[in-house]
Amino acid sequence: MSSKPKVAFFDFACCEGCQLQVANLEEEILVLAQMVDVVEFREVMTGAAPAYDIAFIEGSITRRADENRLKDIRNRSKLLVAYGQCAVSGGINKLKNRRPGMDEVKKEVYGDSAGMPHLDTYPTKAIDEIVAVDFYIPGCPVNREEFLWVVKELLLGKTPRLPNYPVCVNCKLQENACLFDFSIICLGPLARAGCGAVCPANGVACCACRGTVDNPNKNAMHEILLKYNYTVEEIKKKFDIFAVDPEVQSGKK
Amino acid sequence: MEILKISKEDFNSFIDEKRTASAPLEGPGDSISGHAEKWKTIGVVKKGANFVFAELNSAAELCLDYDVTVLPPKKYFLPPKETLLKFIPKKAESYAAVNHPGPIALIGVHHYDLAAIHLMDRAFSEGERDEHYMKRRENSVLIGIYPTKHYKYRFSSSVIRGQFRKAADIMLVAMNGFFVVEILTEKGKNYLQGAELQENDFSLADIEAAANKIKDDQKIPLPIELVPEFLEKNHDHSAWDYFGGKCFSCASCVLVCPTCYCFDVRDEVDLTLEAGKRVRTWDSCMLEDFALTGEGFNFRAGRGARFRHRIYRKGKHLFEKYGYFGCVGCGRCAGSCTAGIAGPVKVLKYMLEHKQ
Ligand code: SF4
Ligand code: SF4
Ligand code: SF4
Ligand code: SF4
Ligand code: SF4
Repeated sequence: MSSKPKVAFFDFACCEGCQLQVANLEEEILVLAQMVDVVEFREVMTGAAPAYDIAFIEGSITRRADENRLKDIRNRSKLLVAYGQCAVSGGINKLKNRRPGMDEVKKEVYGDSAGMPHLDTYPTKAIDEIVAVDFYIPGCPVNREEFLWVVKELLLGKTPRLPNYPVCVNCKLQENACLFDFSIICLGPLARAGCGAVCPANGVACCACRGTVDNPNKNAMHEILLKYNYTVEEIKKKFDIFAVDPEVQSGKK
Repeated sequence: MEILKISKEDFNSFIDEKRTASAPLEGPGDSISGHAEKWKTIGVVKKGANFVFAELNSAAELCLDYDVTVLPPKKYFLPPKETLLKFIPKKAESYAAVNHPGPIALIGVHHYDLAAIHLMDRAFSEGERDEHYMKRRENSVLIGIYPTKHYKYRFSSSVIRGQFRKAADIMLVAMNGFFVVEILTEKGKNYLQGAELQENDFSLADIEAAANKIKDDQKIPLPIELVPEFLEKNHDHSAWDYFGGKCFSCASCVLVCPTCYCFDVRDEVDLTLEAGKRVRTWDSCMLEDFALTGEGFNFRAGRGARFRHRIYRKGKHLFEKYGYFGCVGCGRCAGSCTAGIAGPVKVLKYMLEHKQ
């Protein structure tokens, strides 16, 4: 057998949009395929291997039964990477945690089938709420180029460093009109860059699907919110979409 | 050197001819390969609600009646990302510089941006000469224009003098249906060969008035000569923490600044380990990790310290080094700062009003 690193992809509760991003790498994935043995990848192949050099985990944990599967993967993996915001923070799956109880959520979504055993859902957890995570690739979905770069760095034995600067940097380089000029509140000044500012580039406010920079200036954001007559609660709701906790300092409106 | 005029229609058709014609083999356009290349023609065009410098597909896209562009033209001489050299890992003899810019013409550069290019030329040619930047500059023709539109954050009159003429090859003054064309260099003269230039019949007084028609709303609140010492004395002014507290460390102010030239250089190696390249990208002193060292120590960890550093560079360091104020008063930083704090006028005013 070859001595190429064994790489596996697993998914939990998610839309599988992130693995689609990876599968869509096309050309680059062919090069990647020469460098590694992809031993599991449901979107493009099936198979099973006893151990992995790198396990990529997509999705969040929403059922008790999934915890064991995840722990088992962790035990068999040298490196475990959470990719996609579902895996990193719980992502949009965590929205349901804001509801009073799981019974109500289940009824609303599954109706009469809510009692089926495989629908036994509990409040959403991010991957690192169950097992140790060695590296995170944020975003909903992940950025393909960034994904590829992270894989490359890991294979070369380096520790990839995600951009620790705001989305505004990506935005300015494209010479987009700033949405604040149109009185649209954008989370770009706090959000972690690396996505190419795709949302503002298309006229849509950033809602920090990649989380925030290491040290976001929450007070500065608070001042701007006041200027635009926004409440902290309103902005918190925006951060809740992707289960990001910026700890925007609450206070007077 | 020479003052002529050209009708706006003739100017546009000349630009279109130039765009599709081959550049001469001598002077700018003398590419490394020795083959004639097409002039890459850059002009000011509309992008949504803003203006940007972009490659022209037709002279009809040109918008020379503009307030300011989002990014300054420095992106053509110091690109946001460029490959400096290519190599095969662990083979010293394989290192080969990548540097073959073709001829490029920039049309409609405002005088403050030209002043900034002159400053960049000094920075990249003195001491350790930067061949990548300088080759691009040598292969470029800069066609400047005096602003015809007001921009509420501009204050260039209070910070630049005539140094912009040292970077310009040609200056245009828009005058009812015509451009008065002032040719400042041989390069400019060569570029204009074949254009329908006419004898100038506008009076110098009228030209002067048209060139200076747009007045700034803002100005630096003290004579620029006094700024270095003023900053020196106010190293511990409360302004730094005041503004630092409002700053997102987003670097917008630096990315849009025509006199900022900080960069980062990294080697990128292919997954196969068979090829690599050395890449240079823009960096910014306003970003949190700019001053982060290999051991994890950040020598400018505070937002206030970073904010002060930027203002010191503009008002003191560059001034002392090159004899020109390091800020050309374009106002872009003030206009692009979400927190509304980046403009040097605002900062200096605050410092004067809150004397320590
Ligand atoms: S992070 Fe977004 S795109 Fe990726 S799996 Fe989750 S919901 Fe889908
Ligand atoms: S649109 Fe958003 S991301 Fe872009 S510059 Fe403005 S605040 Fe920053
Ligand atoms: S702009 Fe914001 S919301 Fe959009 S992809 Fe980037 S980080 Fe996510
Ligand atoms: S643009 Fe404004 S908020 Fe952003 S780094 Fe500059 S001063 Fe700070
Ligand atoms: S500091 Fe601001 S006003 Fe001065 S040149 Fe830079 S962007 Fe323009």
